[in-house]
Amino acid sequence: MSDKPFFVGYLPVPGPLRIFLLSVCVVLIGGLAAAGYIMGVTQDDPGPGAFRFDYGRQTVTGVVEMTPYPVIHVTKGNDRIKPGDSFMMTAGGKSGVDSRAMPLNGQLAEVSGIILERGDLYMMQLRGGRNGLKAAEGDAPEIVAEPQGRWQLTGEICDGKCLAGAMRPGRGLAHKACANLCLLGDVPPIFVSSQPVLGEEFLLVTGPDGTRLPRAAYDYVAQFITAEGEITRRGDLLVWEIDTDTIKVTP
Amino acid sequence: MDAAQALVMAMQTWGIIGGLVAAVFLTIGMDRIDEDARGAYIFRPLLIPGVLLIWPIVLWRWWQIETEAAGWAGRYRAVRGWYGVSVIAMSIAIVAVVITGFAVRQTWPADAEPVQLSTGDSQ
Repeated sequence: MSDKPFFVGYLPVPGPLRIFLLSVCVVLIGGLAAAGYIMGVTQDDPGPGAFRFDYGRQTVTGVVEMTPYPVIHVTKGNDRIKPGDSFMMTAGGKSGVDSRAMPLNGQLAEVSGIILERGDLYMMQLRGGRNGLKAAEGDAPEIVAEPQGRWQLTGEICDGKCLAGAMRPGRGLAHKACANLCLLGDVPPIFVSSQPVLGEEFLLVTGPDGTRLPRAAYDYVAQFITAEGEITRRGDLLVWEIDTDTIKVTP
Repeated sequence: MDAAQALVMAMQTWGIIGGLVAAVFLTIGMDRIDEDARGAYIFRPLLIPGVLLIWPIVLWRWWQIETEAAGWAGRYRAVRGWYGVSVIAMSIAIVAVVITGFAVRQTWPADAEPVQLSTGDSQ
């Protein structure tokens, strides 16, 4: 019979195997703990974005504008949302509200829903159906687009809803697939600029000449890029018409 | 075809072949090589996901047993022979993937300033 030590779980550990088993335990436990710590500390800060259920349901009135993504310019606000504010809208899940907003383009409408907020950026997740978006009485003031020239910006294309707080993290490569699904579902895309441009860190990003974000840009979502495009101020919101031919991935 | 489409097509092709193998093996092959399984059918659908993933090994073992190319222990020896190498290779690959991921990760271009290339009408 062989004299090699043999491990049996319910019997005392043979002497020659003790150091080996102890070493394996220490390396395994210590290694996994170290791996977890390294993974954790190297992750980016997910940021302060969140659903603001603590604000309660918000209802305001404003002018709907398709940029082509639906934006509302507030004319009658409340204690949190002031007249003159402009914000984007989304539906529940990974869906936009284009089909509901399009018939009301340029008209006065009442919107109701929950706010998602991340610093200066906020958007509203509307309630379902007409409870979330319906025509309102009154004359809609004209929204004048103010061209701000052509700019080269550096930053990241994200989907506005997750970035504003629906997901943590709501940006970065780990979130790329989710961001693209949101964009395919008509959630407004947002460009996060490396530094404030015209006082804003977050810009609604579209295609040239008022078109939707081109599919060619989807490959660059969640990556850090440099690109050029025209910026237009609509209400207090900046809209950047990205020129996809100028997109370059930064190092 | 870009890389993403190629990956999806490769997975679809693998899955389709796996589905065909599962259909043939679970209805015909299993009865031919395992007499204990004859007449037993309820458990067979449970094997479909596994066959979809490892259909080459299913075919190889089927062929080994069907042709009696090896004794019963020998049917498994070739697969077991690769276990050690596979474990080491996968361990190295996991570490390499993590290190490569960190190495090629972009850094946030905090120093990049917006550049105005032309002025707008309203400026």
